[in-house]
This record gives sequence, C-alpha cells and structure tokens, in this order.
Amino acid sequence: MRYLAPGSLKEALDILRREDDARCIAGGATLVAMMNADLVAVDVLVGLGRIAELSGITETDDEVRIGAMTRHAEIAASPVLTGALGVVRSAAGQIAHPAVRNMGTIGGSICHADPAADFPAALLAADATIEAASAEGTRQIPIGEFFEDYFETALREGEIVTAIRLPRGPAGARGHHVKFSRVDGDYATVSVSAVLVMAGATCSYARIALGSSGPVPIRVTAAEEALVGSPLDQAAIAEAARLLAEAADPVDDVRGTTEYRLMLIPRLLARALNTLKDGETASV
Amino acid sequence: MSEMDVIEKQPVTLRVNGNVHELEIAPARTLLDVLRSELRLTGAKRSCNQGVCGACSVLRDGKPVRACISLAFAAEDSEITTIEGLADGNRLSRVQQAFVDAGAVQCGFCMPAMVIAATALLNENPNPGVEEIRHGLGGNICRCSGYVKVVDAILSLTEGSKS
Ligand SMILES: Cc1cc2nc3c(=O)[nH]c(=O)nc-3n(C[C@H](O)[C@H](O)[C@H](O)COP(=O)(O)OP(=O)(O)OC[C@H]3O[C@@H](n4cnc5c(N)ncnc54)[C@H](O)[C@@H]3O)c2cc1C
Ligand code: FES
Ligand code: FES
Repeated sequence: MRYLAPGSLKEALDILRREDDARCIAGGATLVAMMNADLVAVDVLVGLGRIAELSGITETDDEVRIGAMTRHAEIAASPVLTGALGVVRSAAGQIAHPAVRNMGTIGGSICHADPAADFPAALLAADATIEAASAEGTRQIPIGEFFEDYFETALREGEIVTAIRLPRGPAGARGHHVKFSRVDGDYATVSVSAVLVMAGATCSYARIALGSSGPVPIRVTAAEEALVGSPLDQAAIAEAARLLAEAADPVDDVRGTTEYRLMLIPRLLARALNTLKDGETASV
Repeated sequence: MSEMDVIEKQPVTLRVNGNVHELEIAPARTLLDVLRSELRLTGAKRSCNQGVCGACSVLRDGKPVRACISLAFAAEDSEITTIEGLADGNRLSRVQQAFVDAGAVQCGFCMPAMVIAATALLNENPNPGVEEIRHGLGGNICRCSGYVKVVDAILSLTEGSKS
C-alpha cells in the first residue's frame, strides 16, 4: 500500500483517475477502524488533509459552505451555523466524544453513509446540496439523491466530495437535532432533525428528517404538511409522527428493536418540535 | 531488503513530545502502533483498536484524538503529545499529580488516556463542572470502573474547589 498526500484538489483528482484502487482518507476514524478489522484493503490511500481548499466554513448572503474536510468539532462550535442551520451544528455536537469530533470530517461522514450517523438526517432537514468534483468537472447533488442505500451514495468512482452547501432557510427558521442513544456518545438508536418557522403560535414551515430509521434518512412531505398551519399541538405532532413511522424501516439490532425504534419516533419528534417551538435555538 | 519492503515502506517525519523522528514505515500502520513499537512510547494503550474505548488517546496539536484509528502518515503535519510528554522530568504535571492525590488510579490501564483527556479538557475549559467533566471524559472507558475519583481529581484543579 502507498500513502499519497496531495496538496491540491486537482492533484488528488488526478491520482484517483490514474490509480486503479485508490481511496480517499479524511479523518480516518472509520476507514482506519475498518482496516484494523481487516474489512478493507486499499492499494493507494489518498490523504486529503493537506488540501486547504477542502477545509473550513465560509458564508455568503444565500448560503453557508462547509468544506468536506471540516471536522465535527469545528462545525459544532461554528457561530455561522445559526437559524435553520442550527440543525447541522446541533447534530455535529452530538457525534461521539470530543476525541472523535476532533478527527471525523463531515465529508467522511456522508461518504461512509452509515444510516446511524447524525449528519445525514440533519443535512436532509437543512436541504443541503453536496458538491462533488472529479477530473471531468464539478457537479451538485441534492441531498435527497445523495444517500442511496446502507453505506451507498450517488458518488461515482473518481469523485471527491468537496463541500456541503447549506441554504440559509426561510426567515425566522430554527433548527435542532435530537438523538436517542443507549449511552452518551453512541450512535443514535433513532434521531430526528427538524427545521421550523413559527408565525406567532402557528407553525408556518417545517422540514423534518429521521435518522437511524431505515437505509437512508427519511423525509415525508405529508408529515410536514400535517404540522404546517397547526399550533404544533399533540394531535398534529401525533399525525406527523404516524406518517413518519409509516415510512420508516428501522433495523432490529444491538441499539434497539424495530418496534422500540418505531416507538421512539413520536417521542423524539415531540421533543425536537417543543424545543424549537419554545424558542430555544440549538443548545448542543 | 526485498522488493516488497521497498514498495511498502515510505519515509515519514513525526514530531512527538518535542522530538523529531524520521522513520521508514508501512503506510497502513497506525499512529498508536508506531508510537508503541517504533518509538517505545507505551503509555498510550491498545485495547479495542476501533476508536471506541479511548485507551489510546494522545494530543494532536493540543486536542485529544484516538491514536489507534489515526494513520501515522496523517500525523505528519501535527505536533503529537503522549502521556510521556506531560511530566517535566520526574515532576508530574498538575493533572497527573491530582490523579495520584485523589487515588484515582486502580489497575492504571486507562489512566494515561484519562490524564490526556483531562489535560485537554482543562486547557479548553479551566473550570469545568461535574457534567462538563463527565462529557469531556465520556469517551474514556475504565474497566475498573473508577470514575468517581477521576472526576474528583479534575474537580480539585478547578476554581470552585479552592474557594
Ligand atoms: C468510536 C466512534 C464513534 C462514532 N460515533 C458517531 C456518532 O455518534 N454519530 C455519527 O454520526 N458518527 C459517529 N462516528 C463516525 C465519525 O464521526 C465520522 O463521521 C466517520 O469516522 C467518518 O469520517 P472520517 O472523516 O473519519 O472519514 P474516513 O474514515 O476518513 O472515510 C470514510 C469513508 O469516506 C470516504 N471519504 C472520506 N472523505 C471523502 C471525500 N471528501 N470524498 C469522497 N470520499 C470520501 C473514504 O474513502 C471512506 O470510504 C463515530 C466514529 C467512531 C470511530
Ligand atoms: S484502543 Fe483506541 S480507542 Fe480503544
Ligand atoms: S484503572 Fe483499571 S481500567 Fe481504569
């Protein structure tokens, strides 16, 4: 095996085009764990750590752009991720423990596409666009099309995720991520990501996504419609939760049975919505 | 040297505890493996080798990371501090001394990483409360289950304990 550490994106893309069995390594938190367990073998590892253009959070009037190599700890502490984008900041702060948040990157998280991860649902709720580059050029992938199955994404061979682009969201929006896990720092048994606008006591906008509830994060527009126009009373939340649970297809595993996960959905949805309704922005 | 070796080994420069090391290693080797086997710094422990237990924690540019799931090559641009780098000769760091004074150490296996995590926490937040300490060290598992005195040790270094 060889390790290459290109200093520019162009160089990295050239390596991916040139080499047969080359694979990017970002934080390494998942890839190295898999190598340690003999689950993957790679000929050429392409370290992305020296490519400055892949790191950091920048903003324009319309959007916030998070470089693929930005670490969870930086996202969790970003003063730029406010309003609707609080959903992404809040998810980042709930990933694992400090040491893993100092290693893992948002690009690595979504490329690995673990359905139990926190970013997939949060990015779906935030209506993100994934920017991917290859030697042929750059393309934009709507988040709804990025995750295809367990550990499968729309990324093609030779492509590198360069950034996650987040629209600011509607005026007055707030976002929050709620996660239930067996112990502090574990992957979610179920997570709910929510972005909400309240017009007085009435909900005027809702975008909700479930994590750890199927092969890919789940969004149901009918559930959002059940919330919009309501005061987010019990009946509206129960109806939205019913529609979401109907679309969910959670696994039965060590983190919880399918039945248990389905029971968590209404409870976590209520928790997320009540937090946002009461005007608290993401606290974690 | 066989042809395999020529292909498999690459030069790497690591900065650990203020020393610069020039090594030739296989790129798949983890930072933990290189620290322990090449540099003989055995304070960072190998337990799960999966990033879960925390026993291998070291500081990368002052922040805690898991050495078992870090490639040595990916550490080239950073300053690594292991537990061996905290004491000043035979004088323990204040965090190490606080752990001793509180009687926080049982078998000791998890302790280098606990001290590393506590050091990083206190650098970032000199006066953590109990909850913040628990979260800061949440990724460090102690199989002797001696968490109470670890928290006591860290608390003893905060403003609150002195007033
Ligand atoms: C102990 C532990 C606990 C964890 N707990 C949680 C949790 O609670 N919630 C959660 O969401 N996550 C959790 N994670 C996952 C972690 O936070 C990271 O998201 C994960 O390790 C992947 O990020 P990475 O940067 O380490 O990617 P790597 O391991 O470097 O790469 C992962 C995969 O993505 C590919 N890749 C990486 N970057 C790119 C890119 N820019 N373009 C194309 N391909 C790329 C790699 O080739 C590889 O296949 C946990 C991990 C560990 C080790
Ligand atoms: S040995 Fe590294 S986290 Fe367990
Ligand atoms: S002191 Fe024995 S594992 Fe913690």
